[in-house]
Amino acid sequence: MSPLVFDKMFVIDQSRCIGCEACVQACEECGTHRGQSLIHLEFVDRGADTRTAPMVCMHCEDPTCAHVCPADAIKQNEDGVVQSALKPRCIGCSNCVLACPFGVPKYFALPDQMMKCDMCYDRSSAGLAPMCASVCPSEALWFGTPADFQANRRGELIHEFRFGSQPVATKVATVVDDAALGPIDVMAGETAVRWQDDPFGIEEGWA
Amino acid sequence: MAQLPVTEEQLIERFGPHLNREPPGGWNAGLDVEREVETHCCFCGQQCGIKLKVADNQVIGFEPWYDFPFNQGKLCPKGVKRYLQGAHPDRLLDPLERDPSAESGFRPIAWDAAIDRVATEIRRIQDAYGPDSFAVLSGVSLTNEKSYLMGKFARLGIGTANLDYNGRLCMVSAGVANKKALGMDRAPNPWSDIPLADVVFVAGANVAECAPITTSYVWRARDRGAKLIVADPRVTPLARTADLYLGLRPGTDSALMGAILHVLVANDWIDHRFVEHHTVDFDAAAAAVADMTPEWAARLCGVPRDRIVEAARLWGTSDTGMLLHARGIEHHTKGVDNVLSCINLGLATGKYGRPGCGVSTITGQGNGQGGREQGHKCDQLPGNRDITNPEHRAAVAAVWGCDVDEIPGKGLTAQEIMDAIHDGEIKGLLSICFNPLVSLPDTAHTAEALDRLEFYTAIDFFLSETAQHADIVLAGSLQEEDEGTTTSVEGRTIKINAAVDPPGNARRDWEIIVDIADRLGRRRYFDFDSTREIFDEMKLASHGGTADYNGMTWERIEAEHGIFWPCPEPGHPGTPRLYEGGVFAHTDGRARFHAVPFRESAEVVDDEYPIWLTTGRVVSQYLSGTQTRRIAALVEQYPEPLCEIHPRHAERLGVLTGDLVTVTSRRGSMTLPARVVESIRPDTVFIPYHWAGDRAANQLTNRALDPMSKIPEYKVSAVRVVKADGHVEIRDKRVTALTDSAAGTNGAAGTENAS
Amino acid sequence: MDRTSATAPTGPPPRRSRRRTPEVFGVRVDVRAAVWSTGAVLVVLVGVYLGSGGLQWFDAALAGYLIGVLLGVFATVYRYLIWIQRPPTARLNQRGWESFRRSGRVGRNAVGLVGLVGTNLLAQGFIRRRSTVRWAAHQLVFWGCILAAAVTFPLTFGWVHFESVGQDGSEYKAYLFGVGTGSFQAMSVVGFITFHLLNIAAFLVIAGVLVFLYRRLRDPGALAVEREGDFLALAGLFAVSVTGLFLTASSLWLEGRYYSFLNNLHALTVILGLLYIPFGKLFHIFQRPANLGIHLYRDAGREGAQQECRRCGRPYASQMQVQDIKEVLPMVGFDYSSPDGHWQETCPACRRAGVTIAQTGRVGGFG
Repeated sequence: MSPLVFDKMFVIDQSRCIGCEACVQACEECGTHRGQSLIHLEFVDRGADTRTAPMVCMHCEDPTCAHVCPADAIKQNEDGVVQSALKPRCIGCSNCVLACPFGVPKYFALPDQMMKCDMCYDRSSAGLAPMCASVCPSEALWFGTPADFQANRRGELIHEFRFGSQPVATKVATVVDDAALGPIDVMAGETAVRWQDDPFGIEEGWA
Repeated sequence: MAQLPVTEEQLIERFGPHLNREPPGGWNAGLDVEREVETHCCFCGQQCGIKLKVADNQVIGFEPWYDFPFNQGKLCPKGVKRYLQGAHPDRLLDPLERDPSAESGFRPIAWDAAIDRVATEIRRIQDAYGPDSFAVLSGVSLTNEKSYLMGKFARLGIGTANLDYNGRLCMVSAGVANKKALGMDRAPNPWSDIPLADVVFVAGANVAECAPITTSYVWRARDRGAKLIVADPRVTPLARTADLYLGLRPGTDSALMGAILHVLVANDWIDHRFVEHHTVDFDAAAAAVADMTPEWAARLCGVPRDRIVEAARLWGTSDTGMLLHARGIEHHTKGVDNVLSCINLGLATGKYGRPGCGVSTITGQGNGQGGREQGHKCDQLPGNRDITNPEHRAAVAAVWGCDVDEIPGKGLTAQEIMDAIHDGEIKGLLSICFNPLVSLPDTAHTAEALDRLEFYTAIDFFLSETAQHADIVLAGSLQEEDEGTTTSVEGRTIKINAAVDPPGNARRDWEIIVDIADRLGRRRYFDFDSTREIFDEMKLASHGGTADYNGMTWERIEAEHGIFWPCPEPGHPGTPRLYEGGVFAHTDGRARFHAVPFRESAEVVDDEYPIWLTTGRVVSQYLSGTQTRRIAALVEQYPEPLCEIHPRHAERLGVLTGDLVTVTSRRGSMTLPARVVESIRPDTVFIPYHWAGDRAANQLTNRALDPMSKIPEYKVSAVRVVKADGHVEIRDKRVTALTDSAAGTNGAAGTENAS
Repeated sequence: MDRTSATAPTGPPPRRSRRRTPEVFGVRVDVRAAVWSTGAVLVVLVGVYLGSGGLQWFDAALAGYLIGVLLGVFATVYRYLIWIQRPPTARLNQRGWESFRRSGRVGRNAVGLVGLVGTNLLAQGFIRRRSTVRWAAHQLVFWGCILAAAVTFPLTFGWVHFESVGQDGSEYKAYLFGVGTGSFQAMSVVGFITFHLLNIAAFLVIAGVLVFLYRRLRDPGALAVEREGDFLALAGLFAVSVTGLFLTASSLWLEGRYYSFLNNLHALTVILGLLYIPFGKLFHIFQRPANLGIHLYRDAGREGAQQECRRCGRPYASQMQVQDIKEVLPMVGFDYSSPDGHWQETCPACRRAGVTIAQTGRVGGFG
C-alpha cells in the first residue's frame, strides 16, 4: 500500500464499467486541465460485446513514464500523485506514451505536449473526489476511504500488477475477489469460457 | 398553414441544431463563479441532484451535489454537459412569426402581437369547427407547476378536451397496469429498496444507458450477494454482467413472464399467505398460464428453456426481490399486459410492501412521474384524478372555482390527436415541450398531419423540428430559467431552482400561458403572479386524490431533499414505500391479479419483412434530441444512428461494420451505417431514435397503439434489411481508439486538438 | 494540506532501493562534466580578456556580474551534461543527430531546422495553441530576457563600451570589441533608447510576469498543480527587473540617492538569478531546443517501418522509437519482457483493454 497523504483513495474497478462516458465528459471539467479530457474509455471489442475499458492514471509508485522522460518533465508528489508533464519542460517526444504499461499518457499534437490524468489534483488534494469518480454512475471509478469501501462493496483492494517480468505497484487500487492470489497478471490474457460468448444460447438451443 | 416556411437547410442554418462546445467565454473564462444553485438535471426521470455554477446570468458549469441522497454527486454524460444547453447560439430570444419571405423562414415579432395572434386563431378555429378542434400537446419535461397549468389552461383557458402529453410515449402502460392491479399509479418503491433485494430482475430496461444512476443501486444489491437477471433482446452493458440473461425476441415479454409464473405455480414457489390475504383473482392468472410451459416460451421467445426455469427459481425462492422494467416491455400494443404479467410475478411471491420488494417501472422522462399526476393527460385531472369520475370532477371544479360542466370530458391521446389532425378533424394546435415529428411513430404521417393544420403555435426554447412548422413560435424557458417542482422516478417530489433568468425577450413558460389565457378572456382562472402561487393551488387541487401533495411546501421539499407522495397533510412525512403491510390502493385494500394470455405484436415478421426492428436510446442523447443534439460533447459521443446487426445476419447480407444498410418497413425506409455486434439477436436489428429527418428511426415504426394505454409500439416492427452502397468510418469516440497514434510517429498529428 | 511542501522538487523520490533515482545535480560529482564546465568557464574568461582589449575596456564595477556569469556558466554546463547523459535523453540526443544526418536529408533538415527555430523557439507557436494570453506573456518575458542578456553580457564582458564625443557630453560613441561604431546624441531618440534598453527589457519582463501571476492566482486548477519553482522563477525575474528599474529611478529622480545600495541589491538578484538557472524552472531554456531533435526523430520514424500492435495489428508508432524504449527501459531499471514478447509492443489502447480483461477475470459476477 502506498502512503496516503489524504485519507481517501482512488479505486478503479473496470469490471463495473458500463461505458457511459460520464467520466470522459466530466474529465474536461477538471480545473487543472479544463477543456481536455485525459481519461480513457474504449470498447474492448464492440463486435463481441459491450465491455469497456476505462483507464485513469494509476499513479505508479515508481513511474515508468518519469524514468523514460528525456526532459525530466514528469514529477511525482510526496503523496504519490504523478503529475502531468511540466509544460515548460515537455518536449513532446511521446516516450511516456509508448512506455506506460497502462497506456495512460496522451500526446496532444498542437501544443506538442503530453498531458495525463493528475487525479484532479485541485480536487483530490483538498479531499474532494476527482471529477470522474464523482460522477461515475456505476462506481467503476470511486474515491473514498478504505473503511467506506469495505462497508459497501465486495471484493478486495489490490495495488499490484505484473506485466511479464515487471511488477508494478500503484497508488490507485483496483478490485479482485481474492487479493491473496497475487498481482494482476496483465499479459496472461483471458482463457475462461463465459456465457457472454454465446449470449443468446444459440448453441444451447431454444427448447 | 403549417408547412415549412423555407427549406430545411435554411432553417438549420439559422436555428440549428448547432453545436455548443464550450462554456460561455471559453474553457478558461469560467473562474468567477457567483453562486452555485442546487437543482436537478433536466434529462430523464432519475432527476439527479446537481449544482449549477452561475456567473453573469449564465450557467457556466456544474459541481457534483454530493449531499443529494439519490445520486450523491453521480451524473451520466448528459448530466455533466447539461449546463451547455444555456448560452446557446440556437436559443430563441424573441417570439417568431412564420414568414416565407424571410431568409430564415421566421421574423421576430413583439410579444403583444404574438399573443394576440395566438388567441385570435384559437377562437377563430374553435368558432368555426367546435371547441375540440383546437388541441394542446404538452410534455413531461415540464415541472409539476407547468404541467398543472397546462392541464387547467387546455380545459378552462381554451376549453378543449383534446389535451395530451408526451408521457403517452413513455410510462403510460405501466401507469395503467399499476392502477388496474394495485390501485395507484406510482412506482411502489424508493430506490433505496433496490440494494435490499436478493434478486434484481431487470426486464426491458437498458439501465446503463437510459437510467445510468440506477446502476449503482443494482451494484449495491450485488455487493450484498444479490443475483441479477436481465431480459432484453440486446446484451446491454448491464446485461453483460448478469448472472442470468434472457435474450428474448422483441414482443414476447408476456410469454416469458407467463412461463415464469407457470414454473412458480408448478413448483409451488407461491406465497400463499400473501396471495390469500392481499390479492384477488390469482386463480384466473394461474389458469391463463397453465399452458405456458417453459418449453413453449423457449421456442417463442428464443431463449434456452433452462434459463427460464432458473429465472423462476431465483425469483420464486428469494425472500426479497425487485423487478425493474421500462420501455422495453411497455412500448407495445400489449404494454399494459406485459406490465401486468410482471406484477403477477410480484404478487404471486409476495414481493410488495416490504423492504427490498417491488415491481417498479423506471420512468424515462424528466418529470414522467410527476407530470401525469397534475392533469395534463387527456383522461386525468390533478391529483391523478379521473376526468370521467363525477366526484373527481367536482373536487377539482371546487378548487378551480368553475362550474363542473366547464371542465371538458376525456379527449384524444397524443397519437390519436396527430391522427385526427391528419384526418382534418383537428385544425389548430398549441404544443409545448413536445417534438412529435421526431418522437411519434411513422414520421411521414406526422409530417403530413402538421402540414394540414390551419394554425400551429409552439412554445419552445430551441426551434425543434416540429416547431419549424409553426405559425407562431413563443420563446419559452429552459428548466434552469424557472423554479418549481418535479417528481422523480421514485415518486420523490423535489425542488427545481432557477439558476438564471430567461435570456433576451424569452419568457417563462407559465407567464406565456397566463398571458394567452388573459387574452382569451379567462384571466379569472389564471390569476398567478409567481410559480409558487401555481404550486399552492396545485397542492390544493391534488388534495384527496391519490397523488396528494397537500402537505408539501417548497421549504420542506428542499430541507428534506424531497418528499414522497402521498403527503396529504402538513407534517406528514411522505410515503417512500407504498403498500406497506400488503395494503393496496384499491378500496378493498387488495391487489388484482390479471389473466394475461399471450398475443402477438401488431406487426409480425413475414417473407417480405423478415427481421424484427426494435428502437431505443443511447446514453448521450435525450428523447427527440432537441437539447442534446445541440451539445457538441454529447453529439460526438454517438453522432448518428447506427443499425446494430448480428454477425450471422450481417454475413448473409455481406455487411461489415460501417457499411451502409437500408432498412425498410411498411411505413418507410432509411439508410444508415451498420454496427455488426454479437450483442443483438440474430433475428433483430436495433436503431436508436433521437434523430430527425432521414435519420429518424421513427420513419420505420408502427403507429399501432395499446388498446388501454394508447402507447405506440416502438419496440416491434417488421423490416427488411439490405446492403446499400457506401461505407463510413464509425465516429463513435469509443471506437476510434487509436487516438494514441498521434503519440507515435505515424503522422496522425493534430488528431487530438488541444487548442 | 500544504501543497507546496507536499511536492518534491525533482524526480520521483526513491521509494524503493531497487535502483537509484535519476541523477540530480549535487548528489555526486561527475568528473567529466566538471572538466567540461571548467573548460566553459575558461572559454568565457578568454573571451572576456580578448574581447575587452586585454581588460582595458572592462568595467571593474561590473566584476560582480562577471563572477555571477562564470558561476552560472559552470553550473549550467554541468547540469546540462548530467542531463544529457540520462539514458532516455542520451538516446534521443543520439537519434536526433542521426536523423539530422540521414543520407540525402542534411540540406533539407538544415533548412527545416532554421524554420523550426523561428516557429518553435522564437515565435513559440506551440504555446499560442494552448492559450494566446499565456503565449503573449511568455513572449514578453522571453524577449525581455533576450534583450537584457544582449545588453548585459557584452557590457559585463567589456565587449561593448561607450565614450563621449567632444567636451559637453552630449554625444556618445559606442565601441564593439574596441572598434568604433556609430555615435549618437544623448538626448536623441536613439540615445534615449540606447540608454534605456535595460529599462525596456525590465518593463517587458514585468508585464509578462504580472500576466502569468494574474492567470495563476485566478485559476485554482493551476494553483493546485503549482510547484514552488514556478513562483520562484517569476519572483526572480520580477526582482531582477524591479531592482534594475530602481537604479534608473535613483539616478533620474533621486539625484543618485541609495544608488550604491540599490546597485548591490540589483547585482545580488542578478547573480542569484544566474545561479538559479540550472536548478529550477528556467533550465527549460536549455532543454527546449531538444524539441527540434524530436521533430527530426519523428520525421525519420515516419519514413521507417511502423510498429504493429501485437493485439490489434494496427500500427501505432515507429519501430525505431518502440525499439529505443525497449532498450532504454532496462537501463532505467524496468523489465517488461515476457516469453511472448515485450509489453510495449502492444499499442496503448490494447494495453488498457488488457488491464481490463485481466482485472475482470479476477472478479466474479460483474464481468
